[in-house]
Amino acid sequence: MELFSEIYNCYYQVLRHLLCTQTALTKQQIGDQICGEGFEESLLSIIPKLENGSWNLFHQDGDLFFSKLTSSFITPVSTLQKSYLKALLTDPRMQLFLSQEQLENLQQMLSSVTPLWTQEQFYYYDRFIDGDPYENENYRRNFRTLLTAQKNHQYVDIDYNSPNGNRVHHHYVPARLEYSVKNDKFRVLALKNARDHNMKLEILNISRMQSVSLIEKTLSFEVDFNALIQNSYYREPLKLHIINKRNALERAMLHFANYEKNTTKIDENTYECLIYYNQIMETELLIEVMSFGPMLTVIGNDKFLKSLKARLQRQKKLITDNH
Amino acid sequence: MSDFHELIKSFPKTREYVRDFFVYGFKTRNEFKNKSPRTYDNERRRLESWLSPFVHKDHLSNGANISLAIDSNLLDTNPLFRVWKTKSFTDNDIVFHFFILDLLQDGGKMTAEEITDDLLTEYEAFFDIQTVRRKCNAYQKEGLLQKQRKGKTVVYSLDTSLAQWLKSNETILDALAFFQLAGNLGMIGNQLTDQFDYQNQTFRVKHSFFVHTLEDEILLDLLNIIHQQKSAALEIKSSKKGVINTTYCVPLQIFISTRSGRRFLCAYIDRSKRFTCFRLDTIKKVTPLEKTEAYEELQTKLNRNRRQLWGVSFQGRERHHLDKLTMTIQVFEPKESYIVDRLRREGRGGTVTKTAPNIYQYEIEVFDCNEMLPWIRTFIGRILSLECSAKSVERRFYEDLQTMYQMYQIEE
Repeated sequence: MELFSEIYNCYYQVLRHLLCTQTALTKQQIGDQICGEGFEESLLSIIPKLENGSWNLFHQDGDLFFSKLTSSFITPVSTLQKSYLKALLTDPRMQLFLSQEQLENLQQMLSSVTPLWTQEQFYYYDRFIDGDPYENENYRRNFRTLLTAQKNHQYVDIDYNSPNGNRVHHHYVPARLEYSVKNDKFRVLALKNARDHNMKLEILNISRMQSVSLIEKTLSFEVDFNALIQNSYYREPLKLHIINKRNALERAMLHFANYEKNTTKIDENTYECLIYYNQIMETELLIEVMSFGPMLTVIGNDKFLKSLKARLQRQKKLITDNH
Repeated sequence: MSDFHELIKSFPKTREYVRDFFVYGFKTRNEFKNKSPRTYDNERRRLESWLSPFVHKDHLSNGANISLAIDSNLLDTNPLFRVWKTKSFTDNDIVFHFFILDLLQDGGKMTAEEITDDLLTEYEAFFDIQTVRRKCNAYQKEGLLQKQRKGKTVVYSLDTSLAQWLKSNETILDALAFFQLAGNLGMIGNQLTDQFDYQNQTFRVKHSFFVHTLEDEILLDLLNIIHQQKSAALEIKSSKKGVINTTYCVPLQIFISTRSGRRFLCAYIDRSKRFTCFRLDTIKKVTPLEKTEAYEELQTKLNRNRRQLWGVSFQGRERHHLDKLTMTIQVFEPKESYIVDRLRREGRGGTVTKTAPNIYQYEIEVFDCNEMLPWIRTFIGRILSLECSAKSVERRFYEDLQTMYQMYQIEE
């Protein structure tokens, strides 16, 4: 059971797609497929092998290539993959997706397989304790409705308990379902019609939803979701200076690895790191930066620096007044 | 660079390069110590080829600086999974792969001799019978083929029922689309979604730390050893000095930080009679040894000890058995009651008591309070006092605060 095996190689994947095409292919079409799916230089390796017959997988007729495989070709599931699926069966989140009958079917098909891991082999020592209730039937129903709506670009009517205790009712199109590993919670990144005929992005916790129902209305135009997120980033990123002491550099680089960032060395022991973020991420990023104490120096932007200084000011006053 | 190949034979060397580019993302050619310029150039070219959409180049006075610009908020999969799809192979390997699986697609059973004949007649592919037998056995080991003995003959067959079932169930494909991004060993989920031509267009993961997939091979070995309740020899490279040492231990559990994505092996060291955690990215090689008789006992002991563990350290610098930390904070209720929620949700079993209007006290006893400091600092702006039986921790907290006041010129 090798994770790094040629059977999972990207070239095999590209070739499978080409070989399962039952019509004749031109060299140009083969090249386009390789460029789309392969690595940047794969074209230079694959095309000569097909042309000189080292990979005798096609019949060649003039400029055309005909697959030698039958149309029903399907790659079987390896032992490694079966063990992975068996391990997933013990994950409570699996019930969000599969019905009881499907779970039993899969269990049956994998009855002789050893799971790749068991839940108790992992311990998440800093995970928050109020994770989502995956066993709750209403939660599961809401999750599945949101999933259906997301895939069909369909509007849903959400009855929601807001964090300040108000109950609100709105129509949204779920753009993505976002999972937080730290919070063990699902949230919906939802699009809502704004007044100016644009769509605005809101984030809603699934566990706060009382009910979700599909509406017979779909989004009539494409929304570039990533552009929506990127446009929400502040023009000026957070600029940090990191002094490489107490292993701070490596810790910071790993800690902020989930943000888009750019790091450069500015002198022997100091590094400059730019982190791109938006308003929604701001408070979390601020407390993450504070957690490093004096190992990081915030240079800008002004807004972030002002928030940090305000916290420190308040802290200094509290300690002075208290002693 | 005539000997450049896009694919590679072994993973460990590449793992280091990808990690350096991804984690640090600012090393120029001159800063890769102990590596020849040619090695650096080849590794960089490979990385650029595999991950071209994510490679970011800056031209600096001391050379080009390449890094990986990966924003997990914007991605449907982990781009570093591509690194796992680069294993090199021979011409025979790829030709055999497609023809043998195609030949047995109808569920029929064939001997190695029959397969050899059919490969030639059906596909014009010539293999000698020993090669066919060896390859069939290798595929049987990977679980792609079934092997059955019928009297004196051995027959091979292919079972595609599970693959067909997975392909026809969109709900399981949705689950795989989610777990490839959010779960352990997501690379395998990603192989499956690739295999069934299903792309994640639904899920995103917050707090996703893509770089850690590079340790998945080590993780897989460790899970196997834990399952077999064996002891192991670990080759560990010190992150500070770069020296490799061998440690003998009983692997017990994988500890994961959801805040940094870092993963650790928690193991029992018989020589020192202690539990210790090793970062997975420092483990270079794992060798299984003999079965451990006292395995269950060690697991029970670890579970008991975990209650006093804040992170991954089983002993503080002052070498007390346990240290007590008390933090008093100001919370204006009800506006700021989310702070009290934070103490309860993130406080890992510490007690939270309201001692006066708008004043809360958080108290906990753990092995190493030093590990708590990053979390404690997230309450800066609200802390009335911090006391700790490990005086070095208390001192460091206040000294760091003073340093920060100076750094940001905070006046009275």
